[in-house]
Amino acid sequence: MNEARVFGGEPVIEFAVERDRRTFLRWAGIIGVGATFAAATAGRFASAQSDQGDIDILNYALTLEYLEADFYNRGIDAGVLSGEELTLVRPIRDHEEAHVSTISSTLEDLGATPVEKPKFKYPSGTFGDNKAFLDTAYTFETLGVKAYQGQVVNFKDAALLAAAASIAGTESRHTAVLADLTRRDPFPAPLEARLSMSKVLEAAKSFIQS
Amino acid sequence: MDRRNFLKGSLIAGPGVALLGTAEAGAQSSNEFGSDVDILNFALIAEYFLSQFYREGGPQMSGKESRYIESIGADEDGHIAAITGTIQNLGGTPAQAPAIDFGKALASRKSFLEFAFKFENLFAGAYLNAAGSIKSKEILQAAAGIFGVEERHAAIVGRLLGRSPTGGVYVGAFSKPVTKAATLKALKPYLKGAKAAAGGAAVTT
Repeated sequence: MNEARVFGGEPVIEFAVERDRRTFLRWAGIIGVGATFAAATAGRFASAQSDQGDIDILNYALTLEYLEADFYNRGIDAGVLSGEELTLVRPIRDHEEAHVSTISSTLEDLGATPVEKPKFKYPSGTFGDNKAFLDTAYTFETLGVKAYQGQVVNFKDAALLAAAASIAGTESRHTAVLADLTRRDPFPAPLEARLSMSKVLEAAKSFIQS
Repeated sequence: MDRRNFLKGSLIAGPGVALLGTAEAGAQSSNEFGSDVDILNFALIAEYFLSQFYREGGPQMSGKESRYIESIGADEDGHIAAITGTIQNLGGTPAQAPAIDFGKALASRKSFLEFAFKFENLFAGAYLNAAGSIKSKEILQAAAGIFGVEERHAAIVGRLLGRSPTGGVYVGAFSKPVTKAATLKALKPYLKGAKAAAGGAAVTT
C-alpha cells in the first residue's frame, strides 16, 4: 500500500522547530550531510548510555508516535467514532500517548534531546468520515509496525531493543484490530513485514512542508 | 511475504547466511537460554503445540471465526517450517513434534477460544522474553516478525471472545515478556512423552 496516497500527497507534517525538521530530513536522506543512517553512526563509540544510533532511532520512533497520537486525538475529539469502534480505538490513542511520553523520557535519561512535537496537517475531511479515518488509522499502524520491525535489530542497547520490541508488539495488535474493523485480513503473512528508516521516511517525505 | 513461499523457506535469506550472526544485536547473558538453536527449538515446540491445537479444534468453528482460525493455524505451520529450516541451516537438530493431549480445551467453541487466547498471549510474551538472548541478528529479526504475528493472533482471538479492549484485546501500551519457566509450566500439563523428543531438553528444563 502506498502510504502517501492517504492524504493525496498533501503535506501532513510541519515541524515546530527548524532543528527538528533538519534532523528529520537527515534521516530521510534529503540533505547531504550524514545522508544515511550508516554514515551517520559509523565510527562512533558504541555506548549503552549514549549511543547516537539508538538516540536517532528513538527520535525517529518518537516522531511517528507523535503523528499517531495526534491523529487519534483529533479523530476522537471530532466524534468520528462511536460504539465499539470508539471502545477499541480509544485505548490505541492512550497507547500512542504512552509511547510518546516513555520514548521522550528515555531520550532525556540518555542525555539526549527529544524532538519536539511536529505540527501535523491533514486534508479536509480526514476527521469527518468514519471509513476514511479508520482506513488512515490502519495505514498508519501498518507503517508503524514496519518501522519498528525495521529498527528492532539496530539497537545497540539490549534494554532499548526489548522496549522497542514491546512497542512493536502493541502496534501489531492495533494493526490487527483495525484490519478487522475495516474488513481487511488481520493475518496477511506469518511474519511481520519491515521497512528501513529511509523507506518509511520516503513515505512521509511528501508530507513535509518545505 | 507470501505465505506459500514462506513455507518453503527459512528465517534467513539463504544457505550460510545464518553464520553471519555474529552481530550480537542485543545479546545479553541469560541463564534461561543457551544457543540460538536452543531458543529456536523452544519456539518450535510452542509452534507445534498451537498448530496441532488449531488442526484439532479448528473444524468446530464456523463462519468468520473458522476463516480466522484457519489463517492463524496456517501462520503457525509457516513458523514451524521456517524455524525447522533455520535450525537445519545452523547445523542443529530440530525438535520433534511432541505428543499432546488438549483434553477439555477442545470441548466447545468457548473453551477452544479461551485456550487459544491463553497460549497466543503466552507465546507472544515468550518470544519477547527470548529476544534479548538471541545472538544472530537475522534470527532476531525473524523472531521479532513472528512475535508481532502472535500478538495479532492474541488480539483477534481476544476480540472473538468479546474480551475487554483494555487488558484483553490489548495488554497495555507495552507488551509483556513471559519467562521460559512460566511458559514451560503452562505447557507441561498437555505434553506427553516430550522427553523422548530430540528437543526434549527444551521442554523438560
